[in-house]
Amino acid sequence: MKKLFWNLGAALTAAMLGGATALAYESAAVSDGGSITVTVKYKGTPPTPKKLEVTKDKEVCAKSPKTDPSLIVSGDNLVNAVVYISDIKKGKKMAPTKVTLDQKECEYRPHVLAFPAGSTVEILNPDGILHNVHSYSQKNPPFNMAQPKFKKTLTVKIDKPEAVNVKCDVHGWMSGWLFAAENPYFGVTDNSGVVKLTDVPPGNYTVEVWHETLGKQSQKVTVKAKEDAKVNIEMAKK
Amino acid sequence: MATRDFDPEEEKKSYGAVFLLATSLLVFVALWAVWDDNFTRRSWKRYQAEFNRLDYAKAKAAYDAEDKKLQADPTYRELTKKLAAERARLERGDLARRLAELRKKEAEADIRFAEVDQEIKFIKSELEEAWYEHDHAVQTGANVKPHLARIRELEAEQKKLEPDLERLRQRRESIKQEIKKIESGPKAIEDEIAKVAAERDKWVRVMDNAIVRLGPVSFYKIPKIRQVVLSEFDRNHFDEPVARVDRCQTCHLAINRPGFENEPHPFKTHPRREVLLADNAHPPEKFGCTVCHDGQGTAVNTPRQAHGEVPYWERPLLRGAKVQASCTSCHLDVQRLQDAPLLAQGQRLFEQIGCTGCHPARGYEDLPKIGPSLRRISAKVDPSWAVRWIQNPQAFLPRTRMPNFSLTEDEAIAITAFLWSVSSEEGGKWLEQHPPPAALKANGKGLAERGRSLAESIGCKGCHGFADGEFATVLGKEKDVVPNLKNIAAKVDARWIYHWIKNPRGFSPETRMPSLRLSDEEAAAITAYLTTLGQKGEPIPRIEERLKDPNNIKRGESLVRKNGCFGCHDIPGMEKESRIGVELTTFGSKTIEDLFFGNRTDIRRTWDDWTYNKLKTPRIYATERVEQIMPQFNLADEDIQALRVVLAGFRESKVPAQYRADQSQRVADVVAGRRLVHQYNCIGCHEIEHRGGFIRKYYERTPELAPPPLNGEGEKVQSNWLFSFIKEPTPIRPWLQLRMPTFGLTDAEANQLVAYFNGLAKVEIPYAHFNERAVPPENLEAARVLFSKEYFDCLSCHQQGDKKPEGPQEGWAPDLTLARNRLNPNWIVKWLQDPQKVQPGTKMPSFFPGGPENILGGKDDRQIEALRDYVMWLGRNASGGRVEAPAPRRMGRG
Repeated sequence: MKKLFWNLGAALTAAMLGGATALAYESAAVSDGGSITVTVKYKGTPPTPKKLEVTKDKEVCAKSPKTDPSLIVSGDNLVNAVVYISDIKKGKKMAPTKVTLDQKECEYRPHVLAFPAGSTVEILNPDGILHNVHSYSQKNPPFNMAQPKFKKTLTVKIDKPEAVNVKCDVHGWMSGWLFAAENPYFGVTDNSGVVKLTDVPPGNYTVEVWHETLGKQSQKVTVKAKEDAKVNIEMAKK
Repeated sequence: MATRDFDPEEEKKSYGAVFLLATSLLVFVALWAVWDDNFTRRSWKRYQAEFNRLDYAKAKAAYDAEDKKLQADPTYRELTKKLAAERARLERGDLARRLAELRKKEAEADIRFAEVDQEIKFIKSELEEAWYEHDHAVQTGANVKPHLARIRELEAEQKKLEPDLERLRQRRESIKQEIKKIESGPKAIEDEIAKVAAERDKWVRVMDNAIVRLGPVSFYKIPKIRQVVLSEFDRNHFDEPVARVDRCQTCHLAINRPGFENEPHPFKTHPRREVLLADNAHPPEKFGCTVCHDGQGTAVNTPRQAHGEVPYWERPLLRGAKVQASCTSCHLDVQRLQDAPLLAQGQRLFEQIGCTGCHPARGYEDLPKIGPSLRRISAKVDPSWAVRWIQNPQAFLPRTRMPNFSLTEDEAIAITAFLWSVSSEEGGKWLEQHPPPAALKANGKGLAERGRSLAESIGCKGCHGFADGEFATVLGKEKDVVPNLKNIAAKVDARWIYHWIKNPRGFSPETRMPSLRLSDEEAAAITAYLTTLGQKGEPIPRIEERLKDPNNIKRGESLVRKNGCFGCHDIPGMEKESRIGVELTTFGSKTIEDLFFGNRTDIRRTWDDWTYNKLKTPRIYATERVEQIMPQFNLADEDIQALRVVLAGFRESKVPAQYRADQSQRVADVVAGRRLVHQYNCIGCHEIEHRGGFIRKYYERTPELAPPPLNGEGEKVQSNWLFSFIKEPTPIRPWLQLRMPTFGLTDAEANQLVAYFNGLAKVEIPYAHFNERAVPPENLEAARVLFSKEYFDCLSCHQQGDKKPEGPQEGWAPDLTLARNRLNPNWIVKWLQDPQKVQPGTKMPSFFPGGPENILGGKDDRQIEALRDYVMWLGRNASGGRVEAPAPRRMGRG
């Protein structure tokens, strides 16, 4: 399969400037690291999942039912929240990687994709229809690229730490998030609502949770060598 | 012969003390004079001396910092080491000896060469002599033979010596080359060091600039006047061009130098220097300082004198934001100046708040009257409402532009009586022709509800607010340019509303209220809704009777004349009245002596204070004897400051053409067009010049359904299409509920708007022809494939004739057959290359770079060209830009 690399001029510029952001975090060997187990709960009555109507390209998009992904609660665990340490300056190696965002059956999978800033996102289009990937970003240069049938893969590089909303104008219900993290200590909650951050050098930190609908919340935590610190965060609608 | 008295006592007296005193006084005075002339009255010298010290110290610090960095730099260290070694090699050892030897040889060779050279020169001179003798002999008929023999002899001598000379030259050259070669070792390293140390060594030049070196002694430069001469900038009293001389930089020494941003005045760098003082803007060596800042350019004795802040100097320094007033001297279009926001705001206020209704001012002669026509006022509003409105407009609409004339109720009734007397005939006729509509009789709650949803969806909110705190375009800080309708039922009744909204120009031929092409049913619904907003007030006792009282009518007429109501309103019988206020064309150059302070002693005697208080409380300077008429506008402080900047710019100035900014027809078109854009409040709905589009706040979640931004419209669309569209809008996105209104613009106005958009986009060739017969067939073939579902799937979003795209309307895009008559073919190319660049945030994604490999050789530019050709070709059967049946034509004048 032919792989196309979209060489966005803007992305290039950002890559050149990227050095500055990378400096904010310093990679070093971590020995005797501790860990933080973060549990994120939803406070209040869990919302009933709203069904999304598939209004276009039904033969492909309606293959799977769609629910509104903007607030998913499993039991009382908050799903799709990003947990990260907001004030760590030095720690385990920060390595930008290649991550994949799938648009199978007109839905972003995963709904929230977190990765270290500077990583490359491969966006897949296995549906054989026209999509477009429209980013709503502030710090990174915004893009809006068409992904017609013949273009099975699109590649973008997200250089600056930011939660970027991506949408498809062809299929109005499609919405997803690219979360470019500032450091390697991050994770996205699943149905268990738990994220474990490992190899954290001993010290005092702030753990922050970001959720697309509920906003941000943070808590202080002290990490001791080879011990696991527990953090419980409850988020509610404002 | 008489002898003078001789007084021995007198002769014995000594005047030594007096002489001593007198001479000391003389010496003292001489010294004092020198001191006074050089120091006391030359305070600028102190500034310059202080600056030299500052400049030197800063440069030295920068040098030291760079030097420290260099010393830590291994490359630099290695280079200096290499250089030292190389130099040492030249000073001692074999190489040094060889060099000394060569130098000696070089000296010898020089001498040998000079000797032979001189010998040849002598021979040449002798030859000249021999030739002279020869010619002389020819002319006198003497024997030439001996002369010829002598010539041959000398020539032979010269020939014999020439090879010698050449040989010596070569020898000398080879020695020099060898020396150069030996010495070039250090030279190359020196060059390399200079490159590495450039950042440091540039400071050496700065330091050298601040001091003078005399052998081993060095001292700071002796201060001197620094002046810029603007030749032929000013005119003297005989209207002859004279130079303007600015000496401001004698003290403001770093005004055009970076690095002094945080120093105190007068050593501070000019704010936004890199833009404002750039070569393409206002380089100080061409424009000096007083062109923008005023002051007394030639004066240097004291800051107060230099700044012109002395009695009778007509142009004192423009301090703070007031400097923006100067922009108008050279710039025709000040709205686009990034660095004059206060001036731009003030100018918008000046044009739109009604100043020109009473005050004539050059450049503002052709502005229309801002108030509604009162020709049929009796058919429109409730008379008791009119009285209350005239008495205190801001009580009914706090954000209105209509000022308060501080009238008594009796006076307001008199004015109303007069207005009714002049409008009842026309008004009556109109009422006869416009009976209460039948559709309104079924006025139910459902109808009003439908009216409300119509008012919210078809675009009324681009101009009108319907509740407190609702507004679109705001003039200045808090004025509405269009009335808020929250209380409209108190003012007008259903019958008038119905006919007005159906056809505003049918009631008032000059109104800027456009037609939204409402059907009878729609007009009835909106009328039903509007009549629920507010209710009629209590009638004023005996109002009908008092309006008919001839005394009231007569008194009203004189009040209308006195207050100049016709400045803003069209009043029957007063069409030819001239404006009642003082002319403002040269208001900015008024001095304190020209301004009337009345009996106010609490206001400082400055132009700024006078003007501020006049705008804040227009009748503040009235006295028992002197009445003042200017009404109360209730302006916010920031608006007063903005207006004051505009007023400060009103002065006689004849800046020669070579100093002025672009004042071409294009700029004039932009200025005139923008006034129309403000007048008709286009910016209520559309973002133009990155300003406006205020209705968009209601479409935050569905920006696709809001009116399109028109930044760059001139480049995007064809001029003939734009003209027809402005005259008679046809839907481009028929699914939108918003309607582009029909304004009924005159041809001249519509042309002006086209010229405005073209001028903004700097479009020089407004009409472009596209020949679809010349389109290569392979382009159409390729584009058809690109259009298909297999590739770009364009019709996934773009409407095609009656075939609507799938999905909700937010995702739809215009019918591409419209492009033929609407879009500029070159713009289509630009658009396809990068839609986000043309219109940031657009939902049109970029398909390029990255077109399919198997079409047109995989070349993006060829694919874009093919798409452009195809889109233009698609609309080949469309005529005159009207693809769909246009909305019914009802309006139009001119």
